[in-house]
Amino acid sequence: MINIITALQCEARPLIEYYKLRGNARHSAFRCYQNDEIQLTISGIGKLAAATATTYLAASNPGGTSCAWLNLGIAGHAKTSIGKPMLAHKIIDNASERQWFPGMVMPITCDSEVLTTVDKPEKTYRKATMVDMEASGFYAAASRFQSCELIHSLKIISDNQQYTSEQITEKTTLAMINDNITTIDSIIQPLLELSSELNTIEQPPPEMYDFMAQWHFTTYQQNELRHLLRRWHALSLSNKPSHHDFSRHTTSKTVLIAIKVFLDQQPVSFNNKACQ
Amino acid sequence: MHRLIYIEEEVADHPRTKAICDRFPKATKIYCKYYGEVFNRKGQNFRLQKQQPALILARKHKRHVLNAPDGYGIGGRHNYYFSHMLNCVYDCRYCFLQGMYRSANYVIFVNYEDFQQAIIETAAQHPNEETWFFSGYDCDSLAYEPVTDFTQEFLPTFAQLPNAYLELRTKSLQIRTLLKSEPIKNCVVAYSFTPDEISKALEHGVPSVEKRIEAMIKLQQHGWRLGLRFDPMIYQDGFEENYKNLFEQIFSRLPAECIHSVSLGTFRTPKAFHQNMVNLYPKEKLFAGRFDENRGMITYQKELEVKMTNFCYKQLMQYIPQSLFFACTPPE
Repeated sequence: MINIITALQCEARPLIEYYKLRGNARHSAFRCYQNDEIQLTISGIGKLAAATATTYLAASNPGGTSCAWLNLGIAGHAKTSIGKPMLAHKIIDNASERQWFPGMVMPITCDSEVLTTVDKPEKTYRKATMVDMEASGFYAAASRFQSCELIHSLKIISDNQQYTSEQITEKTTLAMINDNITTIDSIIQPLLELSSELNTIEQPPPEMYDFMAQWHFTTYQQNELRHLLRRWHALSLSNKPSHHDFSRHTTSKTVLIAIKVFLDQQPVSFNNKACQ
Repeated sequence: MHRLIYIEEEVADHPRTKAICDRFPKATKIYCKYYGEVFNRKGQNFRLQKQQPALILARKHKRHVLNAPDGYGIGGRHNYYFSHMLNCVYDCRYCFLQGMYRSANYVIFVNYEDFQQAIIETAAQHPNEETWFFSGYDCDSLAYEPVTDFTQEFLPTFAQLPNAYLELRTKSLQIRTLLKSEPIKNCVVAYSFTPDEISKALEHGVPSVEKRIEAMIKLQQHGWRLGLRFDPMIYQDGFEENYKNLFEQIFSRLPAECIHSVSLGTFRTPKAFHQNMVNLYPKEKLFAGRFDENRGMITYQKELEVKMTNFCYKQLMQYIPQSLFFACTPPE
């Protein structure tokens, strides 16, 4: 799953069409679109709006699954040519001077650059970095919910010293995003893979729900149960864990003890391929 | 090959920074004020970063030489360690570094001169006494030699300090510098081993046991003193046969006369690190066996520790004199 935050409707529209996203009427605070893998929210302009939309989206999906995050939009740059896509490898909040460093573990199909987030439109083009108005708010908020390898900001250069921000229109923005849809997708797909990888790692063993239906486990005990059932699978035992095998136990506490005693007696052998 | 190199602004112009960057001309350089901004921050995933680690070049400001943990020594009264690098190019599932650090990126402290000065000063505190310096605590001592030039830069320091002993602890085949250098008496190249089956399952990216033995033979023929480290010993059903075969495999090729020291220690990690490791690899077989907690350390159960240690000790005594043997397990 990936959550995408754009500031403007015209930045979102090419993605809505490309990924066949549908509007989600459940949300009233922000305009949201989604399919099975992507949720897109239009935040409005500015870092506060971006942070609010990011937090809103995260809070709307408390399911515990690991989502990737992408802030997509346009940015200025003093010298870089118009229409060039660039991933942020460092994000600076101009007002506070706070810095964030997205973790770059996925294949990167475009150049990367420092991105400075400003509070007011920057018209002097004095900075040697990309300049936008959302990324620091987005990143500060998203990093509360996910590790840095799954949070990125991708910008399409929309203005520079020659072609200034006054000349940007909805139409040109839409065209720039559309022209880079392949590059955008080449960032989104590996992020989806990373989030899927994390979900696979974090996924509780499927039998856990059968045990939880049979006995009442406190939150602490649920963690213990998850750990024990993972141990069971990792040991590559011939029999899978089944709540039926523990049916004579009346309490969750004795079930956990019984599973632990059973696992502690099992041999460990690395001759079979070790599970990851 | 690193795609990204983070560089502390303070060392941007350091000659070693420039030399290392020259090795990765296509890497993107990202400047930071302090390496901890990248390396120590919250919200990182060690397992994901291990797929594509970045390089971080930084200055270490203080505490260049630290007291070695209990059980780390090989007979010396004064034991210290120093880390010019944090993290390892290998990916051993039992390694405590993955539980200790938030980041899998490699940090290289480029101010070798400060480490060397600290080593000289520390050795001077113990005149006429063997003082050991372990370099392979936070990284593999040799594995990144082509990038760091670590041995090339540090051996001359030890060559002029007769009471300072250097242990290079490694699983690496990067021995070219050592084979080009004149061996020094106060340096031990110590190779770590687990049995072949365990190595294949848990030591990802590490040269095979056989290749490591071949590297040791070359070093021995060149005149370097060698160490053997069976730490951590890893349990599996039938470990006796695994370790018996490993010792046979090693000592049939390397005579005891060329061995400086042999050490042995069972798998153990601080509880907090162990929990991080299990969270990173929840389906890993290594962590699925029975463990006990003993004074903040996660260990095999006591009886198993004793059984493994006694068995391996007896086996080793068939090959080496008692005087070469050192137990790594910290005293109770």
